[in-house]
Amino acid sequence: MERRTNGRRLDYLAKVTGRATYLADMKLPGLCHGRILRSPYPHARIARIDASKALKIPGVVATLTREDIIDHPALDPYYGPVFKDQTIVAVEKVRHVGDPVAAVAALTPEAAEEALGAIEVEYEELPAITDVHEALKKNATLVHDCVKVPETGFADLAELRPVEGTNICTHFKLRRGDVEKGFAESDHVFEDTFTLPAAQHAFLEPHACIAQIDAGQRLTVWATTQNPFVVRTQLANIFKLPVARVRVVVPYLGGGYGGKVYPKVEPLAVALALKAGRPVRLVLSREEVFHTITKHAAVIRMKTGVKKDGTLVARECEVLLDTGAYAEIGPRVAKKSGYTAAGPYRIPNLKIDSMSIYTNKPPAGAFRGFGVSQSAWAHESQMDIIAHALKIDPVKLRLKNGYEENDTFVTGERLTSIGFKQCLTEAAKAIGWDDKPEPAKEKHIKRGKGIACLIKATITPSISSAVVKLNEDGSASVYAGTIEMGQGSETTLAEIAGRELEIPLERIQVLGVDTDVVPYDLTTSSSRSTFHMGKAVQLAAQDVKNQLKQIVVEDFGVPAEQIGFAQGKIRLPESMLDYKEVMQKRFGMPGGTLVGQGQVKTKTVDERGEKTTSAFWFVGAGAAEVEVDDETGKLKLLRYVTAVDVGKAISVLGCRQQLAGASITGMGQALFEELVYDNGQLINPNFIDYIIPSLGDTPPIEPIIVEVPHKEGPFGAKGIGETALIPVAPAIANAIFNAVGVRIKDLPIKAEKIFLALEEKRGDSR
Amino acid sequence: MRDFEYLEPTTIAEACALLKHYGGEARAYAGGAYLGIVMRQGLLAPKALVNIKKIDALKGIRHDVKDGLVIGALTTHRELETSKIAREKFPIFAHVEREVANIRVRNVGTIGGNLASGEPLTDLAQVFMALDARVAVVGPATSRLIPIEELFLDFYHTSLADDEILTHVIVPPLPPRSGIEYIRFSSSSVVDKPCVGVCVRATLSADNETCDELRISLGCVAPTPLRARKAEAILSGKDFSSELVEQASASAAQECSPTADLRGSERFKRGIVRVLVRRAAARAYERARQH
Amino acid sequence: MKKQIRIRVNGLERELEVSMRATLLDTVRDQLGLTAAKLGCEMQVCGACTLLVDGKPVSACSYLAVDADGAEILTTEGLADGAKLHPLQEAFMETGALQCGYCTSGFLLTAKAMLDENPHPTEEYIREYLAGNFCRCGCYGEILQAVKKAAGL
Repeated sequence: MERRTNGRRLDYLAKVTGRATYLADMKLPGLCHGRILRSPYPHARIARIDASKALKIPGVVATLTREDIIDHPALDPYYGPVFKDQTIVAVEKVRHVGDPVAAVAALTPEAAEEALGAIEVEYEELPAITDVHEALKKNATLVHDCVKVPETGFADLAELRPVEGTNICTHFKLRRGDVEKGFAESDHVFEDTFTLPAAQHAFLEPHACIAQIDAGQRLTVWATTQNPFVVRTQLANIFKLPVARVRVVVPYLGGGYGGKVYPKVEPLAVALALKAGRPVRLVLSREEVFHTITKHAAVIRMKTGVKKDGTLVARECEVLLDTGAYAEIGPRVAKKSGYTAAGPYRIPNLKIDSMSIYTNKPPAGAFRGFGVSQSAWAHESQMDIIAHALKIDPVKLRLKNGYEENDTFVTGERLTSIGFKQCLTEAAKAIGWDDKPEPAKEKHIKRGKGIACLIKATITPSISSAVVKLNEDGSASVYAGTIEMGQGSETTLAEIAGRELEIPLERIQVLGVDTDVVPYDLTTSSSRSTFHMGKAVQLAAQDVKNQLKQIVVEDFGVPAEQIGFAQGKIRLPESMLDYKEVMQKRFGMPGGTLVGQGQVKTKTVDERGEKTTSAFWFVGAGAAEVEVDDETGKLKLLRYVTAVDVGKAISVLGCRQQLAGASITGMGQALFEELVYDNGQLINPNFIDYIIPSLGDTPPIEPIIVEVPHKEGPFGAKGIGETALIPVAPAIANAIFNAVGVRIKDLPIKAEKIFLALEEKRGDSR
Repeated sequence: MRDFEYLEPTTIAEACALLKHYGGEARAYAGGAYLGIVMRQGLLAPKALVNIKKIDALKGIRHDVKDGLVIGALTTHRELETSKIAREKFPIFAHVEREVANIRVRNVGTIGGNLASGEPLTDLAQVFMALDARVAVVGPATSRLIPIEELFLDFYHTSLADDEILTHVIVPPLPPRSGIEYIRFSSSSVVDKPCVGVCVRATLSADNETCDELRISLGCVAPTPLRARKAEAILSGKDFSSELVEQASASAAQECSPTADLRGSERFKRGIVRVLVRRAAARAYERARQH
Repeated sequence: MKKQIRIRVNGLERELEVSMRATLLDTVRDQLGLTAAKLGCEMQVCGACTLLVDGKPVSACSYLAVDADGAEILTTEGLADGAKLHPLQEAFMETGALQCGYCTSGFLLTAKAMLDENPHPTEEYIREYLAGNFCRCGCYGEILQAVKKAAGL
C-alpha cells in the first residue's frame, strides 16, 4: 500500500490522484436522471399544471407535480428548518424565479430535458416584492399569506415568529440601557446606512442528490449536505418515516461554506424516486444553484453616540435582511446580525432591531460569516468614520472600547477566552500600522491601510457525538458525523484521537458519514466541528483508555493508580503493555472491539448558572494595504493580514488554510461579488458574470495564529472557519478611505463606486 | 444542447457549400470557445456544425513585406500570443492576448471565431482596427476583402453571410516611426471580460514630432468596436501636446455610445475611455518616437 | 446521431461511440469512468473540468468529444507514473494546496501543461497561467507555492 499521510492530510492522496469520490461521480444500477422545471416568474399563482404530455416522451419514467404531493396520506409536503414554508414543488404559488414547479425522471438526461419542455403550466402573475423596503410598506403584497410554524424547533429561535399580515419573517429585538439617554450624554452622534448585496456560495460542486428506496422500504439518500442528521429529520417528517428508516450518506463535498446546510434538493429527489419506483439522481446545473440559496443582502442603519475621547455610549441599529422567498435559516442569521451589531465593543446603551424579511427572491440562508459579515460591514466602517471625525487613531479607538476577558457581552453573559486585543494588535503590527505606505511611482496611484475586527458566536445549544473503536490490533476507527468539505476535519479528528491514544495517524481511520453508522451530530457549520466534534472524539478516545485501564485492573491485577499511558502503550510500574496485548488478554483471541463514546452537549446556561449564548467566541482582525488609481477608481490589494484567535492550533497548516481561504472569499464579496436582480430576475446566474476571486486577484496574505486556549476545547482549540472572512470588506473600505479619502458604504466596492465618489469629492460633474 | 449533424469538410469551398446547403441553420465550428457556451445555454441550436478545423488553408501565421502579417482564421489566441513572427513584427498581440479570457479558452478559441462571433466585449478587434487590418472572406461564389470595421454590424452580428467563412486577417506592415498601445480595463476581477478596451496607434512624420496618422479604437463601449474618428482628427497632423491629447480623450469619451451593464454605467465607461485614451496615446507616442 | 472516435487516454487506446453533442468531459467520466475532472461552471470559466488535449489544457465541459477524435488525452488519473506520483501531486500535498479538492484536478493538469511548455516559469508567469482556474476554498497562496516548488523555484 502507498503511504497514506507522511504528515499530510488524510484526504489528500485520494484528491490529488483524482480518486476521491464526490456525489456526481457515483452510479447505481437502474439510476434515473432527474430534472426540475422552475418558475420563470418571481411571483405567480399556478392556475393549471399538466405533465401528461411529458410522460409520453420516450425514456421518461415519472413526473412530479403538486398533484402528487397534496392530500397524500404518506407525506407532508411542507418543510423548512425554522418554519414550514417550503414545499417539495410549488403548490399554490411560485415565490421566486427558479422555484421548483415540477420534475421529471428519465432514463437519459436528454429525455429528461426534453420532457421538461412538454410540461404545461399556466401562471397568473402577481406583483413581486423585490426589496426589503417594498416588503415593509403598508399593504404590500404578501409573499406568504400564512406561515406554518412547527410544534418543535430550534431552542434558540423559539421566541421568533412571523409577524402576521406582513412580510416580516422574524423580528429580533435587543434592548440594553437607555439609548435616548445615551445619545443625550454623547458628545457626537454618527448615523450612517450601509448596504451589501446578496451573494453566492459559489462552491464548484453543485448541489446534488441520489435517492433510493430499497427493498426493505428504507430510504437512502446520498446527499451533498453539511448536516445529514438535520436532512434525515426533515425527510422523516416529510415522508412520515421513523428516522431509523432514513439513511443519509455524504461523500466528500466540493465545498459548502454554509450553502449546503438544511434540505436543498433532497426532498424533491426522494419524492421523484418514490414516484419513479427506482433510484433518481439530481445534479443541479450552475444556474440552478444560483436559484437555490444565497447570502442575505442587507440594509443596516446604524446610529452611534460617542464621547469626545472616543468612548462608545449608545447605539441604535436597524438591520434589514432580505431572506428571500423562504425563511430557511434566515431567522437565525437575523438574530446573529442583531447580537453582533454592537461589534466587539462595550456599549452600555443599545436598541437593536434585526429583521429577516420575505421577498420574491431565492431563499437566503447560511453563509460563512452568518449575519456577522453583514453587521461588521456596518460597525467596522462606522468605527473608522468616528475615528476620523474625532481624530483618534482607528486602532486605538478599537482598543479603547474593545472587549477584554470577563467583560459582559450584550446578552449579559461573561466573555471568556477571547484574544480580541491580541488579534487587533498583531494585525496592526504586521501591516505596519504606524508606518505610512510607501508612495507609488505614478502620481495617480494612492496607497492606504485599513483595519477591521469582529466578534461572533457559534450555534448553541448543540450536540456532537462520536465513537472511537479500538480494534484488536490496536488500530482505531473514528465514527463522527462531521462532513469533510475541505476544512480538513477528517485529519483534525484523527489527529485528536491519535494524540489522546498516542497512536500515529497511519493507524487511525475516520469513517465516512453515513447516518446509519455514525452517531448524531447537529451540523458541520458555525465553525463548530473542531471544538464540538473534536472534543467528542477526545472524550470517546478517553473512554477507550478508561476501558483499557479497567481491563488491566481486572485481568492483569494492577491497581488503577499504578496504571499510566505513554507512547501509545500502557505503563505499569515494571513494564509496558501494548493495547494489542490487553485486547488479546481480555478477549482470549486476536479479536474483539472496545467501543468508546463521547458526547458534547452545549447548553444555554453554564455550570455556574450563568447564561451562555455561545459555547465559545470567535474574535479576530484583518488589515489591508491597498492602492487606488484615483483617475479610474481601480483598486489593487497589495497585502492582507489576518489575525485570528484559534484557541490552540491542532494543525498549523489547517489554521493557515482556513484563515487565508476565508480572507479570499471575503475579498470577492468586498470587491466584486453581487447577485444582480432586475425585477426579480437574476441577471448574472453564471461565473462569466458573477465573478469570484482568482489567483490573479489575490494579494500576498499573511495569516497570524493567535492562541488563547479555551478550557473546554480539545487541547484548548476552538473554531476558526468563518472568522477571517468577516473583517475583510470593512478593512478594505477603511484602507480606501485612508488612500483617497472617499467612504464607500455599499458593497461590492467596484472601481465605479470609487470613481464616482472621487468625482463627487472633486466636485467634478462633467 | 440540441442534437446536430457534424460535418468535417477539408476545403473552404466544401465548407461554404455545406453552409449554403443548410441555409442559415448551420454554423462554422472552429474550436467551440463561443459556440460551446451559447449552444449549452440554448441560445443557439444549429442543425449542423461545420467543423472547419481540418481545412489547412485556414491555418498558420505568415509574414511578408507586402501584405504584412497574415493570420489564418484557425489560429488560436494562444498561437497568436506565442507566435515568433507575430512577436517580432507586432509584439502588441502577445501583450493583448496574455489577458484574453483564460489559457483554456486561448487554446481552443480562434482569431477567426472570435471576430466572426461579433462578441462586443472584446480586445483583439480594437487592436486590428488600430492597425488598419482587413479580413478576407470567402463565400460559395465570391471572395472579398473588407476593412475590419465593416465586419461588425451590431451586438453578436457581423456582415458575414450565413454561407461565408472568414479565412484570414491581414495586418499591413506598420509604417516607420509607429507606436501602439492597448489598455484593457476590467472593473472587477482580472479574469472578468473587459469593461473598456482602448487602442491607440500613432505614426509620426520624419520630424518625429508631427503625427502623420493616428488611430483610436474603442471596445465594449458600443454595440461594436469602433474608431473615435473625431478624436483622431484632433491629433492628426499636429504636434503632440498634452492639451491636444486631453481634447482628443474627451472627444473619444463622447463619440462612443456605451450602455450600462454589469461592468459599469454609461457615465463610468465614458470616464474610463477618457483616461485610457490619454494614457494609451501618451505611450503610443513615446513608442513611436523610439522607433 | 453518433460517431465512432479513437482517442488515446492516459496512454491507452480507446475506441468509443459518442453522440455528436457529447462533451469530452461526459465521455471521459461516463464511458471511461475517469471522474477526476469535474463539471463546475459549464462555461469555460472555472477550470474544474480541465483536461489536456494533445498536451494543452482545455475546458472539457465545452469540448466536443467528436472534435477530440485522434487526440491524446491526459486526465489526472494518468498523471502519476505508476505508483510514483507526479512532482506536482507531491508538492500540492506538501504545501496544502487543496481543501475540498474539487478544483485540484484542473489545477494539476494546467500546472503540468505550463511546466511542460515552460519548465522555468517566473512567479508572474505562473500567476497569469493559472488565473483561469478557480479555487473557492481559497488555496491560491498554497497553490502558487506548490507550483513554484515543483518548478524548482
